[in-house]
Order: sequence, then C-alpha cells, then structure tokens
Amino acid sequence: MSADPARGLADFLTRELGDQVTISDFRFLSAGARRRNIAFTATVGDTPRRLVATVVPPAVELMPVEAEAGVRELARAHGVPVPEVVATCTDTSYVGEPFLISEHIDGDTVPRRVLRTLAAAGTAEHTARRWGAAMARLHSVDPAQAPESVPAAGADPAAEHLAEVTAVVGELLADRPVFSLALRWLEKRLPGPPPRPALVHTDMRNGNLIIGADGLRAVLDWEGTQRFGDPMRDVAWPALRMWRFREDAEEFGGFADRDTFVRGYEEAGGTFDPDRYRWWKVMGTLYWGAGLAQQAAAHLDGTVRDIVMAASGRRVSEIEWDLLMQIRPAAKA
Amino acid sequence: MQNRPTAAELLESLAELLEDTLLPALPADLQHRARVGANLARILGREVELGPAAAAREKELLEAVPAGDEEALWQALAEVVRADLAIAKPGYDSWEGE
Repeated sequence: MSADPARGLADFLTRELGDQVTISDFRFLSAGARRRNIAFTATVGDTPRRLVATVVPPAVELMPVEAEAGVRELARAHGVPVPEVVATCTDTSYVGEPFLISEHIDGDTVPRRVLRTLAAAGTAEHTARRWGAAMARLHSVDPAQAPESVPAAGADPAAEHLAEVTAVVGELLADRPVFSLALRWLEKRLPGPPPRPALVHTDMRNGNLIIGADGLRAVLDWEGTQRFGDPMRDVAWPALRMWRFREDAEEFGGFADRDTFVRGYEEAGGTFDPDRYRWWKVMGTLYWGAGLAQQAAAHLDGTVRDIVMAASGRRVSEIEWDLLMQIRPAAKA
Repeated sequence: MQNRPTAAELLESLAELLEDTLLPALPADLQHRARVGANLARILGREVELGPAAAAREKELLEAVPAGDEEALWQALAEVVRADLAIAKPGYDSWEGE
C-alpha cells in the first residue's frame, strides 16, 4: 500500500464523483495478513458519508475486486444483507493496490464482542434465524448469474475438496493416525454432487458478520465466494468448534443451536440435508487442520517466519479432538 | 544432579517475562505475538514434564489395537489425543460434543 492511502482515496473519489472530496476519521479496522480494511468519512460539499475501503494486494487476491463487487451486489439484490459497494478501482496509482469502497455499517464483528452483545440484548435466537435466512437467500441465487471470474467448483465439489485436502495431509500429516481415520471416514461417505449447486460464500461464520443488538446487519468477506458449490458446505462451516469462541454448546457461532439456524434457513427456502451437512462439517474440520499444518510448514521452511505460524502447528491436537468427536463409532449394543 | 531452575521452571519464567514484563511495553501490533510466545513457553513447560510418559503411552496404546478394529482404534486415539491436549491445550477435551 502507498505511504498516503488517505490522499489516494480522496483523489480517487474526487475523480469518481466529479466533486472535491475530503477525507477524515481515517482508521485501519483490521490488520489481516491478506486484506486491509480502512474506515473513513468522505465529505462532498456539506455531506459526510461513512465508507470502508478494502485494499487487496494482488499477491493474495482470490478474485478481481470487480468480481467481488458483482457477487456482493447480486447477493444484496436477493435480500442478503451486504454493505453496498460504492466503487471499485484497479488503477494502482491511487493507493498502490486494487481496492473496493463500500458503505460503512455500525456494529460488532469481533466474535467475543458479538457474543456479549447478543447475550446482553437477548437477541441470539432472532439473529441466528436471520443468519440462516441470509444464507438461504444466497443459495437461492442462480450461480450462473455471478461474474465468470468468480471461481467455480467442479462437477463433484465434495470429491474435489477431499482430494485437495488428502494431498496436503499426505504431505504434512501422514504420521498422524487421526487424520488417516478421518480421511477413511470421509471417503466411505462421499455424498456425490449436490442436487442443486449454489453460489456459496464459504466463510459465513461468526467473525465475518456485522451484528448489532437488533441482530444481523451485514455479511462480510466475500472474497472466497464460489459458483456451483454444495450449499451444505456453507451451512456446515460456521458450525465448527473454532467459530464458537469458547461457547462450545452453541453449535452455530457460539450463540445458537443447530435447530435455530436451520429453521431460519428453511423458512427462507433452503433445504437442509443432515447427512451431507455432517460430511461437510468433518471435511471442514480436516481442512482447517491441514491449514494449520501448512502454516507451521511455512514457518519451518522460512516462507513466513512468524511465531504465530509456528504456534499453529501445536494446535493440530485440537483439530484431532474435534475430528474424533464427530466420527465417533456408534456405541456397541 | 538437577540443575535449578529446571527446564520447566525456566520456561515458566520465560512466559512471565513475555507476558508480564514485555507485553505491556510493546506496541499494540506486537502484543499478540508476545502472548503467543508466552503460551508456547507454557506448552513446552508441560511437554518437559508430561511428554516422555505421553509418548511411551501412545506407542503402547496404538500397538494394542487389533488390526482392522476401527472402534478400538478410535478409543486408543481418543486417549492419545487427550494426553497431547494436556500439553497443548489443557481443558480442551472437557467438551465431548460435536
């Protein structure tokens, strides 16, 4: 990113809107390794407008910013709460990297704070139903309508994902029998292609939601969206234990049980498939374990020499426990 | 002869240095790393004390699993992972749900 991104954003918006734009209240919202979100106020004449710029370094770009904007607006048109996209820019002369600008929405995104807000307001159940409904509306979109530069799953998304993760496990976790056991469990139960491939977000979990006391306000982080995916992959992912933030008994995001989320999902037209859901939940857990092993490997080979990446290697046991709890053999009669 | 402080005692001192002494003086964007470092020092402290017995027990448990008996394998692995978690994340195995 350039040394003075505030100046670059002001220049861009001035050109985009045709009037002099001044920028104030400039602050970094998150310092993620991949993307940076910057909140600011853009004032045109006497009218202040609160906005967020998402700056995407090309090295970590999963899809072009225009494609991400297109998907978000498509979801929004189908009733999914998403911050409106104001502009996209691929000209790197403004802030050094491509970015998109969207409206700012107040609320909590930090998971533990989300849990506190919902507990204090007593709106956890209501929020979880809205969350399920938002996901169902996304899954009702014809994936062929999404921009073609949004990555597409293959004909059998489950088999494809399993093959990718199996390769990583073979390379980095071959000596860990829990992973081999879980892979055998998944191979035996491969669900086949979804009856209705969908537009899937792939990361609609607590942490990527803007939540207020009144409930769900927006779904964030659309960079991982996939066309023609299995909608049960989307439903299963936010139910993993690591997205419960120590509230383990509440399967969805640490604030709602499965029935509540699924009720919201089905009320908005989604079709819940419990077997397929269970498969994708084990798959997602295994995928996360493989990701932790990859982080540790990136530390060890010097690609990303960072103590946080090193520590990921010692979190693999947590994933092994989560896997064992999900693939427990049926009790003997 | 036992050196004092022991390895476990030194690792705890290292954790205290990172967390109690250095962390408050660090800029916000480095504090998380210091916390992670302190946590790793504590993991190593537990590994020094519990690791050798856990490794021996793991070998014993897995060798006792009859070939092809996935249920016995599951039981053995659950015990192995519990021992690993006692080092890496004590208490994580108290939740036994999905």
